[in-house]
Amino acid sequence: MSHLDKILLVVYILTTLPLAVILIYKISRLNQLMPKFNSVKKSLDDMDEQAKLIVRTDMELNKIQEALDKKITGLYALQRLSRIISMTLEEDQIFKRIQPEYLEDLGLERGCGFLWDDGHKQFALRFSIGYTEDEINAIKSFINNNQKQCLNFITSDKTLSSISGLNDLITAQQLNTIFKVISCIISPLLPQQNNRGLIFVGTQNPETVVTEGDEELIKILATQLGQALENARLFEKSWRAQQELEKKVIERTHELTVALEEVKKISDRKTNFVSSVSHELRTPLTSIKGYAAILLTGKLGDLPKDVRERLEKINRHSDELVHMVNELLDIARIESGRVIMRSEICGLQETASKVEDLLSGQLKERALYLNTGIAQDTNLVLADKIQLERVLINLISNAIKFTPAQGRITITSRKIDKMIRVDVSDTGCGIPEEAQEAIFEEFFRVDNAINQEVKGTGLGLSLVKHIVEAHGGKIWVKSKPESGTTFSFTLPAAE
Amino acid sequence: MQAAIGISTAQDHLKAAKEAVEKAKQDLNGKKIKFAFVFSTGEFCHPLVLETIADLIGPVQLLGASSTAIICNQGSLKQGLMVILFSLEESIYFNAACVKDIGANTALTSGEELGERLLYGCKNVRRNLSVIFSNTSAVYNSNFITGLQEKLGRSFPLVGASITAHKESCLYFGPEILHNAACGILWGGKLNFNLEIGHGWQPLGKPRYVTRSLGDIVNEIDGVPAANLYKEYFAKEIPELKKELKRLSVFYPLGLRISENNDYLLRSIVSIESDGSLVFRGEVPQGSYVRLMISSKEACLLSASNVAKTTLRNVGGKKIKFAFILNSLSRNILLGRQAIQEIKLIRDILGEDVPLSGIYTSAEQAPLNSINYLGKTYFHNNSIALLTIVD
Repeated sequence: MSHLDKILLVVYILTTLPLAVILIYKISRLNQLMPKFNSVKKSLDDMDEQAKLIVRTDMELNKIQEALDKKITGLYALQRLSRIISMTLEEDQIFKRIQPEYLEDLGLERGCGFLWDDGHKQFALRFSIGYTEDEINAIKSFINNNQKQCLNFITSDKTLSSISGLNDLITAQQLNTIFKVISCIISPLLPQQNNRGLIFVGTQNPETVVTEGDEELIKILATQLGQALENARLFEKSWRAQQELEKKVIERTHELTVALEEVKKISDRKTNFVSSVSHELRTPLTSIKGYAAILLTGKLGDLPKDVRERLEKINRHSDELVHMVNELLDIARIESGRVIMRSEICGLQETASKVEDLLSGQLKERALYLNTGIAQDTNLVLADKIQLERVLINLISNAIKFTPAQGRITITSRKIDKMIRVDVSDTGCGIPEEAQEAIFEEFFRVDNAINQEVKGTGLGLSLVKHIVEAHGGKIWVKSKPESGTTFSFTLPAAE
Repeated sequence: MQAAIGISTAQDHLKAAKEAVEKAKQDLNGKKIKFAFVFSTGEFCHPLVLETIADLIGPVQLLGASSTAIICNQGSLKQGLMVILFSLEESIYFNAACVKDIGANTALTSGEELGERLLYGCKNVRRNLSVIFSNTSAVYNSNFITGLQEKLGRSFPLVGASITAHKESCLYFGPEILHNAACGILWGGKLNFNLEIGHGWQPLGKPRYVTRSLGDIVNEIDGVPAANLYKEYFAKEIPELKKELKRLSVFYPLGLRISENNDYLLRSIVSIESDGSLVFRGEVPQGSYVRLMISSKEACLLSASNVAKTTLRNVGGKKIKFAFILNSLSRNILLGRQAIQEIKLIRDILGEDVPLSGIYTSAEQAPLNSINYLGKTYFHNNSIALLTIVD
């Protein structure tokens, strides 16, 4: 070893020794830190293991959340669609309202619906979403080429899908090439009816393939569609029936109007006839009565007793005939509107008293009692005084005629709304029920013993009815044989 | 600046176009239209719609995109067309451009090309902000953004929205409908804006080391096939994991630690390869630490609320003229029925009178915020970005 080599060895030892010392120190330090390092590493690994648990749980939660979101979105879409289709009663509108966004919310982008046309014996397309004209024509051809299978499927009332299996109704290849989807749901519409059909929905998107939940939603949608269609058809049916009914009502109204016009013409002719005849009768009657009266005065010479009796009969009968002709003329005038009823304030009590005075002789002769129970607040009516008198005279005269001795006639009044109702009651023989409707007709006389004995024109009640109605009132009768009769009429109250 | 929004949900596309433009024009009160954004759902992705809009608004630049749903003051519409007309002061400059046929190998050059086109007419003005829309899978490997920023520079924020490469997701540029393309607008001059982004996911479990990756493909994590990470966490084999891919992508992305702050960039899984490699929506650099991320509806809503609150704080009482939301589709899936709450939260915080618009995206490009912008644009997943233009 040369001197230089020795020097170099010393230098080497001097330089490497500290390094060796440092290295030994570092190794010793490393050995000291190793447990800590291992501990940190273990903590990190533990943390990583926990992280794994967290992400796995998170992933599962996300999946559940997604499924829930999908279901909620689907339910919302179904609810909106159901509401919108139930708001129309037109069959075409129901299908038009199925818009792409509702299908999109269900994660589907293609759909179509067919209804069976019993007349043409084929399925008719009612809606199509996401298909071109050529594509939907191909689907329509497929459905109609497989009518029997499709009708059997509808009758089965079972919803099919790519998950539950399409039961050979559509093969996977047909689904892809004709329906242009990879997963689908097909559901029957109104399986129990003639005009039944089916809806088909699907997707091309492998990420949104249909689920069991979707199948359930589409089944509900098909039921709702069916109900909406049924409602629309029922509405259509009832609408048509209503139209038919309205048409019939219009026709019948027209017939009745024509008949009424005819009746009016006849009635006018009758009124004119009665009026003319009455006038024609009154002139000779006046002459007959006049000559009879002159002869009875004896100015033309004394009359033998027999002749006088006959002349008195002629005179009396002439009076009755004049009375009848006058009543007929009055009825004719009222009917034709030639008589204008004056509207003046009349006191019922006053009028009834006047009539009572007028008929007091007859009342006394027949030993009848007339009571008037007209209260102060129901006393005043708006009427033509003379005509009101005629009404009361006729009704009380009638009562006198048909009430046996010691009987009672009562006049009462009451207020009903803006009218005063007057009741003229008696304790007479009453009117048979079958005759009650006819007694206001001209020349009608109840067939009873009294009428056979007592003379009458059969015009009194008809005249009364005409007078009351000309005042805007009504008249009716209530009667029971042997229990008396009540004639009631109304007149406007004087405020 | 004034932004006027017109929305229509009419089934008839042309009627919808007319309605939306008329409403927006009405709100603009006769002011001159400088350019227009058009956002819609897939149904309205038709050249005639754009032609109708162009006829009604005149010869102004128009760009936009279609997505699953559009965001507006009422919430999110699953079917609708939105036209936003902008009237700008002379001090604000802008230029819009597009590039087509972007391929995996041409992403960088396509980015450069778009940058060049956007710069046309704006070279000598101070650039403020660019907003880019793309609908090509090639774009989200960061090469496109790199190329774009090569040309535009890194001195101002870039906001980008990747929409799904799907036939119903398209880009609008002028009267054209574009696929596998990108379009954007570059703003310059006196434009005041704020940008915030957030996600609401939290790390779970221990950090893992990406031992082998290339771009958006991660082959190995901690020296074993990348899919093992998900196999371990979820106790499922690869075929089962593949079945759960959508759920894994939305709920459990990987978090990539950002060194600048304590936040994580999210990377959601696009596919699981048979060799155990994982393909993510965005680049995962080799050598980076990643963690599994987890969120909840509440955390997601809270993050949106924080984004809006921070925006309000940053604008410092200035009037917000227009708010634009780029919201990840994944958030929409995670929030489910509560997705509308996220928009309502932002609307309520910013104020109901602030015109709100936006689209759902598959990925978002943006800096972490515009206040502390350090020239770096990140690629985000599962995030919500809020761009507000203020007085």
